[in-house]
Amino acid sequence: MSTITPSTPARAAARTGSAELRLEALTKSYGGTIALDAVDLHIPAGSLTVIVGPSGCGKSTILRVLSGLETATSGDVYVDDVAVTGQAAGDRDVAMVFQDYALYPHMTVEQNISFRMRLRARHDRRSGPSRADIARQVRDVTGLLGLDELLRRKPAQLSGGQRQRVALARAIVHRPQVLLLDEPLSALDAQLRASARTELLRLHREIESTMVLVTHDQHEALSMATHLVVMDKGRVAQSGTAEELFRRPGSEFVAAFVGSPAMNFADTPSGRVGWRATDARILGDAERAGEGFAVEGVVDVVEFTGDCRHLLCRAGSSTFTIVQRDGEAGMRTGDIVRAVVPDSLLHHFDQNGNRTHD
Amino acid sequence: MSRVRHPLRRLAPVAWHSTLVVVVIAMVFPVVWALLTSFKPANDIYSIAPFSAEPTLDNYARVLADWPVVTLLGNTFVMAAGVAVGQIVIAVLGAYALVHFSPRSRGPILVLVTISLAIPPQALIIPQFLMTARLGWLNTDAGLIVPQLGTCALAVLLLVQHVEALPRSLTSAARLDGATPFEVLWHIVLPGLRPAIAAVAILVFITTWNEYLWPLLVSPRAEDTTVQIGLTQFQTAEGNDYGGLLAAATLTSIPIIVVYLFASRRITDAFLQSGIK
Repeated sequence: MSTITPSTPARAAARTGSAELRLEALTKSYGGTIALDAVDLHIPAGSLTVIVGPSGCGKSTILRVLSGLETATSGDVYVDDVAVTGQAAGDRDVAMVFQDYALYPHMTVEQNISFRMRLRARHDRRSGPSRADIARQVRDVTGLLGLDELLRRKPAQLSGGQRQRVALARAIVHRPQVLLLDEPLSALDAQLRASARTELLRLHREIESTMVLVTHDQHEALSMATHLVVMDKGRVAQSGTAEELFRRPGSEFVAAFVGSPAMNFADTPSGRVGWRATDARILGDAERAGEGFAVEGVVDVVEFTGDCRHLLCRAGSSTFTIVQRDGEAGMRTGDIVRAVVPDSLLHHFDQNGNRTHD
Repeated sequence: MSRVRHPLRRLAPVAWHSTLVVVVIAMVFPVVWALLTSFKPANDIYSIAPFSAEPTLDNYARVLADWPVVTLLGNTFVMAAGVAVGQIVIAVLGAYALVHFSPRSRGPILVLVTISLAIPPQALIIPQFLMTARLGWLNTDAGLIVPQLGTCALAVLLLVQHVEALPRSLTSAARLDGATPFEVLWHIVLPGLRPAIAAVAILVFITTWNEYLWPLLVSPRAEDTTVQIGLTQFQTAEGNDYGGLLAAATLTSIPIIVVYLFASRRITDAFLQSGIK
């Protein structure tokens, strides 16, 4: 695995403008099923926006509508305030990396990367790219992604990580303003995924185009996003920075989806509250709860994760998880655990699951 | 402990294979006998002995001298190749359009295509003949080829399966790369279909090569017809020259056997992949 270490000219050549994207009241239905339900969404220029949600929430449909592969049932798509709703896929300055990479199997790496430009040259002999232009741009991008040795290979002769980089190269070779990534890491094994994530973040810094990445992995979403969008049942549940969504989830759904271990919930006389497993402090035997929300339960399962332990506890019919850090008394299955969550770290929700208080 | 099998169980594969051997012998025997007979001199034709004491090539020499075998083979090749190419063009365009451009009408259209397989060709042959005659295509290549392009249902169904099996993301990626629908077909779909197209083309080629009724109707003239018709004309003309007839039959089978030897693997693969057996 090589990392992205571009030479200076490659870096300069790879720079590109970035565009802001806006969806207005975008609805997409297939027959009777509604995939997107009046979605309003703003994707800032130059951001790495991650759209995350459970399967079937409409996140991939958003990419297909943004790219022009699907036309919206109603509503509009704007790129830098220009409506592109009716534009064909090939006419938008948008590129996409597919989940399975979609490399053309009968073409070499070089032919895969240059396909778009070769088509352009054929469509428009006067203003299309010349053969020298194409060769130079391919060289720039293969240098950027460390693919120089692989130009003559066919996709079948590449490893998973190499395929992913070829797919990226094909998408960014013409320096699109917007790069869409549909679960680009899900086909890689866990180890490769971590390094590919880092490479993607570096690439985002290098080419500066707006990136929209779709994933179902909330960990990936939190760690990569400069702008995070959580979707649920065809609607945007919440959008903002990763930190905002983690610290101040706007609904029970977002609270439960973002963060690991998932947020704990409890019904109290004053309404439904949520608290993060990391926000509870385990009390010593004689210690009094004092100020804050007190929880008590029996340890059911202990999961050791390396730097801490997750205590999965039972309290009556409900369960909760507490993260036990080093230095706190070791707990074992069957022990009674008492903990307290400071009031300032509690999240309050109403009956509809919306955030109340602040 | 391995389970003790009933002794009859062990005989089951033996019985199965014996049955198959008998069937194969029954099918191959006439062909082999025809081949052997084609090398017999006239007075040995009715002999039971499989090999003649004096094998001869006289039958072949006579056939090649008296019978326009090269012309007939050429005619048949033009017909079979024309029908194969034509059906492939129609089926590829149809399969691509059905899979990628008509999500709603695809189901009903495929049902109609499948139903057309059930229509007996004899029911169509009179209207087809009348149309061909009115177009002035009797005794022409067009008359042999064009009407046979309509029976491309099997080619369409097979290719629809293969177009569907190509990942959608490939055609999506090509569209995003700015390819027109025809360019997507040409640069992305066709290369992916190459093995299937080869198999279907060969299959259609063989079926058309063996076609008898249609060439007999539209192209009966001795010098314009196909080998299959030519063989019967040979029989009628030469009376009971069985040696010559079987030599002629052997000659006309050679091209198709060659095609099949090269292609049988591909044909089986295409059928297995598409789930039709």
